[in-house]
Amino acid sequence: MNPLIYDKVIEWIPQGARVLDLGTGDGAFLERLTKSKKIVGEGVEIDPELVTRCIERGLVVHQGNILDGLDQYGTEVFDYVLLLGTFQELIPLEHVMREAFRVGKRVIVSFSNFAHLKVRLQLLLHGRSPVTPALPEPWYKTHNLRFFSVLDFKDLCNTLGINEIDSAYFNSKGRVKFCPNLFCEEAVTLLELKK
Amino acid sequence: MADIDKNMMEGDLQDRVIKNYTSDLGITETKIAKIPGITTQLGYTFKELEVSYQTLGKLSPQKDNVVLICHALSGDAHVAGINPVTGRPGWWDYHVGPNKAIDTNQFFVICSNVLGGCHGTTGPASINPLTGKPYAIDFPPISIRDMVAVQKNLLQYLGIDSIFAVIGGSMGGMQALVWAVDYPDKVKVCIPIATCMAHSPMQIAFNEVGRQAIISDPNWNGGRYDENKRPEHGLAVARMIGHITYLSEYAMHKKFGRNIQRDAKPEDLFPVFFSVESYLQHQGESFVKRFDPNSYLYITKALDMFDLLDNRPPYEVFKNVKSRFLIISFESDWLYPPSQSRELVKALKRSNVTVTYLNLETPYGHDSFLIRNEDFSRAVHNFLKKEYLRQSTAAKQTTLIKSKP
Repeated sequence: MNPLIYDKVIEWIPQGARVLDLGTGDGAFLERLTKSKKIVGEGVEIDPELVTRCIERGLVVHQGNILDGLDQYGTEVFDYVLLLGTFQELIPLEHVMREAFRVGKRVIVSFSNFAHLKVRLQLLLHGRSPVTPALPEPWYKTHNLRFFSVLDFKDLCNTLGINEIDSAYFNSKGRVKFCPNLFCEEAVTLLELKK
Repeated sequence: MADIDKNMMEGDLQDRVIKNYTSDLGITETKIAKIPGITTQLGYTFKELEVSYQTLGKLSPQKDNVVLICHALSGDAHVAGINPVTGRPGWWDYHVGPNKAIDTNQFFVICSNVLGGCHGTTGPASINPLTGKPYAIDFPPISIRDMVAVQKNLLQYLGIDSIFAVIGGSMGGMQALVWAVDYPDKVKVCIPIATCMAHSPMQIAFNEVGRQAIISDPNWNGGRYDENKRPEHGLAVARMIGHITYLSEYAMHKKFGRNIQRDAKPEDLFPVFFSVESYLQHQGESFVKRFDPNSYLYITKALDMFDLLDNRPPYEVFKNVKSRFLIISFESDWLYPPSQSRELVKALKRSNVTVTYLNLETPYGHDSFLIRNEDFSRAVHNFLKKEYLRQSTAAKQTTLIKSKP
């Protein structure tokens, strides 16, 4: 994942917030967030080795998949729920989003944009599933189960009654401001439910 | 996988002769304390109790580094180091000692034999002061909560008001849970391992078969057996059944396969004697030497009767809990399956208790916490270190605030 995404998330999260990081990995980012913003954070991670590494960092972590992780918590116990880099791997996406908004007030999602120019060109010129620096694995190996674009994601938000408070788009050169659906490789977006 | 299999072959530290085993702690002793008694949950009053206990490491001047270890069904107070009488290592010597999971360089470790036990703490084999004879079946039914109440009195006797952490597996995990619920202000960290909030019918069923094996041994004699004529056969069978439930299919395959232990002897009923049979018989035979059959009845019944929630909603039970939890289960444990730990985790987390949950994929079954297990050790070690650091930092901040004019 583009490191600028992490910087953006840190910028969005206020001091002392309560944060749930879904798919927290070895906890490196959650630890960074805890130190820089004094947040009260918890992580969810499925791999026991990574959970053990989170414990080594002194983090509170729950071993389980994302839905199981969300199911552990009561309503609105977090200010922010993070779904960084895991979104396109999720199967019951609508369910996850509903659960994330039950447990947290705001949700931050990052994902890869499958309508990026390189992806479009590969498909158009070669007629094969794309392999790009942002999507390095071939179709039969990738963890990505969902192939969607920035615009697709906006449609999903509309369908689920979700409001985009802020979004940022990136490619390997940095921030993308112009026509992100065509030029960004990854997006991160801060969401809340429409009132 | 090679290491995992090696650890499994090595097994746990109970009931086995281990050649050339050295403990980093050297020889460690257990003591016996006479402490004020308790009134049990069911209303029986012990005026005074004897409790055997062991302490390891040094108590810090602030008395903030106490780790209480609660043993499981067949354990005792001798948790680590070499027993000066038997020459055997403590049941958790793999995980308790200098720089081990529970680091005796840092923590002051206390482990005591449970109420109803038979290794120095008052139990059915102890002398009833009213009659001058062993209690036997006049011993009152006891509960996990009673065991914890006795530990509380022992700590008071030792001049310790509150503990940093309580840790235990299986029955020890139940005691750890009771500590966090019954004494919320006295425990900072709670580590229940491979345990549950209440036994399932399957767990009760296995225990009942064990109890029936003892009771139906003619030597049991209505519970009043002679020291020279104990229901050893019944107890051995109970232990054999128990042992099957502590292993996993994988562990059994690896350890025994269908291996033949020895050639048939003329007196054998059948021509084949499998390794697994030999192992179970050995486990049974060593166990009867060190365990009282009535104790086995009372303690397994306490396990079966344990119900942390007792039909109350989890939030009611856990609302005052202040401990931070590390809950560990093992994927291959079918006696206390991970689903029971997950139920506990969810009940706690939904009650706003801070819980870290780790389900290890170690293939040894329920015994996973008793044998050499690097992943387990690492998680417990780091959790305790980080939480101790957190506690010390918090204490310093409080002192700073207080000392400001």
